[in-house]
Amino acid sequence: MVDPIFDYQFRLILIGDSTVGKSSLLKYFTDGKFAELSDPTVGVDFFARIIEVQDGTRIKLQLWDTAGQERFRSITKSYYRNSVGALLVYDVCNRSSFEHIPLWMMEAKRHIEPHRPVFALVGCKIDLVGSDNKNGARREVSCEEARMFAEENGLHHVETSAKTGLNVEQAFVLVAQEVYNRIQTGEYKVEDGWDGIKTGFNRPNGMDFNLLEAETVQSTCC
Amino acid sequence: MPSSDSEDFESADEGHTVEKKERKKRSSSSNYSDNALENDPGFKEATSSSSANKPAEISKETDGWDDWDIDDNETLNPEIVLRTSLPKPTETSGPLKKEEDKKDTDWDDFDAWGQEIEHPNAQPSKADPQIKEVTNKMAATSTGGWGWGWSVDSILSTATAGISTITSQVSQGISTVLETGIGAPDPEELARKTSKDIESRKPLSDDSDNVEKKEKLTTQDNDHGGSTSDGAFPFGSLLSGVTKFVETTGTKVIAGGLDTLETIGKKTMEVLQDGDPGLAKKRAMLGLDPGDKPVLSQVLREAKAKAEEEDRVREEKREAKEVHYENLFDDFEGLVHLEALEMLSRQVSMRIEERMRGLEPDKRQDLKETLQQVAELCEMPEEEDDAEETPDGMSKADALHEKLQIATQDLGLKLQFQPIVKQYTEILNWLSTEDPTRTDKGVYKRGVSALAQATSLCVEIYHKAGEMLLVKARRSTADEADSMTQMTVVLTKHISELATLFTEKLNTVASENMNQVNNYITNIFLEAGNSSTYIQNAFQLTLPILQIGAV
Repeated sequence: MVDPIFDYQFRLILIGDSTVGKSSLLKYFTDGKFAELSDPTVGVDFFARIIEVQDGTRIKLQLWDTAGQERFRSITKSYYRNSVGALLVYDVCNRSSFEHIPLWMMEAKRHIEPHRPVFALVGCKIDLVGSDNKNGARREVSCEEARMFAEENGLHHVETSAKTGLNVEQAFVLVAQEVYNRIQTGEYKVEDGWDGIKTGFNRPNGMDFNLLEAETVQSTCC
Repeated sequence: MPSSDSEDFESADEGHTVEKKERKKRSSSSNYSDNALENDPGFKEATSSSSANKPAEISKETDGWDDWDIDDNETLNPEIVLRTSLPKPTETSGPLKKEEDKKDTDWDDFDAWGQEIEHPNAQPSKADPQIKEVTNKMAATSTGGWGWGWSVDSILSTATAGISTITSQVSQGISTVLETGIGAPDPEELARKTSKDIESRKPLSDDSDNVEKKEKLTTQDNDHGGSTSDGAFPFGSLLSGVTKFVETTGTKVIAGGLDTLETIGKKTMEVLQDGDPGLAKKRAMLGLDPGDKPVLSQVLREAKAKAEEEDRVREEKREAKEVHYENLFDDFEGLVHLEALEMLSRQVSMRIEERMRGLEPDKRQDLKETLQQVAELCEMPEEEDDAEETPDGMSKADALHEKLQIATQDLGLKLQFQPIVKQYTEILNWLSTEDPTRTDKGVYKRGVSALAQATSLCVEIYHKAGEMLLVKARRSTADEADSMTQMTVVLTKHISELATLFTEKLNTVASENMNQVNNYITNIFLEAGNSSTYIQNAFQLTLPILQIGAV
């Protein structure tokens, strides 16, 4: 169960091909555990965890773990809308999962419109890439090309392992921090009828926040 | 940190990414951070001069401020527009001084001031209720628009002190205006400044001290009798008219010298004494109006105290939150499952409607009938009062599992009932364990939590059923509707069973306070009702998903 005291709730969605490791990533992030075997996700599952961004603000991440399977595609697309961030997940040992990333990104952009989410490119199963290659897996997506793609598209990039926990936390913190920064600059704000960002009930009043909002509406003039 | 918004993404040029990013960073910081803006004189000048030429654009740019400083927005004064957006005036006091010289050119819009006095009520529209509260209080005491209410008593002392001291008073008034008058955004900042202002003004003259005392008295008046604000109203506009006049003219003083100063003095007295020789009436009125300042700081102090009180209460209630059903329901992911189901349901409904629109009238009628039939299949049966016995040798939890499986055998889906069965097992174990340290409150907390969790698991079942139905290859709507209805019956009964178990337990727990126990029991049943409602809602949301299988 999640401690209910938080300042904001961000809704993040995880998308990417089936079996790339979305659910495992989330399980490690929320539970600290790794399961060798897991059932394919049906539709969407939910995870939650509270983290703190740099200034100590407490953020509840509500994580939507979508099914990667093709047959659920028509359903999962109805879940995009209220997300403020999207993690584009691929398997570093699965070339095609990386090649589909642009499609996932387009799909997400299309359905999240008019909102513009924070994207992160997350490579999974980095633990399989070892010098010994015991599991017979080998890297099919180099770190450099992923990084290049990320830079071209203005994404954060991180390679993770849900087995060892490497960079798992970082993947989510990156996105949360970026969303939070955009709130600070006024690019994002809490809106009625949109659940990408919500305020938690820890906030005694919305005063300072509203001011931030109000002050930054004039943003795009220069 | 690279930004990932698509503007950047679309315009990203491989060869020049670094440069682009730099530019992006810079422009965004000048967009959002006003400190950066202040520190960039070239940029600032460009902005102010260009915006001075295009007043219409300014008001557009500052739309976001209408909640707070609608008056300021209408001044068409670019300098003020810049100032209003400063989050922390203290950080920029350096640049501010430099600005003063430039200001006088922009302060000539006297007519604009006069007009805007007429709009004091067009204040907060969508503001946060708390802000609204504060601004409303402000509006009640100062109808002159609240950004300018600050300087009222500086001007007031100016007026009462007479021409002899007007020089120092006016410049004091000006700096007050510059520092605090222009819609400083942070209320706490304002409160601090206000008190600073009071302090700094004390040594100025004994007169103003008297006024202060008067102010304090009238503050109390304002607090106790709301009617005083009626008296303040007409004068408020007048006063701020005067205020603004003095301020406006006052700025000229700095640039224009003693000639202008004399004009101010004369004009001020002229205006003040107009129809009121000796200022008798106005003095009386002023007694009311300067109430503004203490009232505002007091309001802010009160707001702060209130927030602190809220914090304290929340800390105390933190435990109470643990038995807050809605929170628990959210924590167990019930709410988000319900929400996701709602998204699906809405989308499917739209698809049905779309299909309906594309049909001939007679076929449309057929479709309507089909939909109606499915809806009828999903009507909950009358409450059957068959006393259900758990078969011998079977645990209650297993019995639940079996009932759910029987109910859904024609659904054609592999639904996961293990979580709800497991939870039931845990609850039964907990209830059957004797624990002398267990209190009535403990049982109650556990009861509410169990209900919230069970409900969340139920809603999850509906959500998953909905998703799986939508990707099901061959639909059999009648069977599906029947199964879902039966499942709903089982789940609803399960909820009331849970409530009964916990209330029975509560009755057996020794407690000194039977009243409290009764309250707990009532609450458990209330929350059970709540649970049933959530389950029924989830079922209703599944209806379109069942219907679309038939059309």
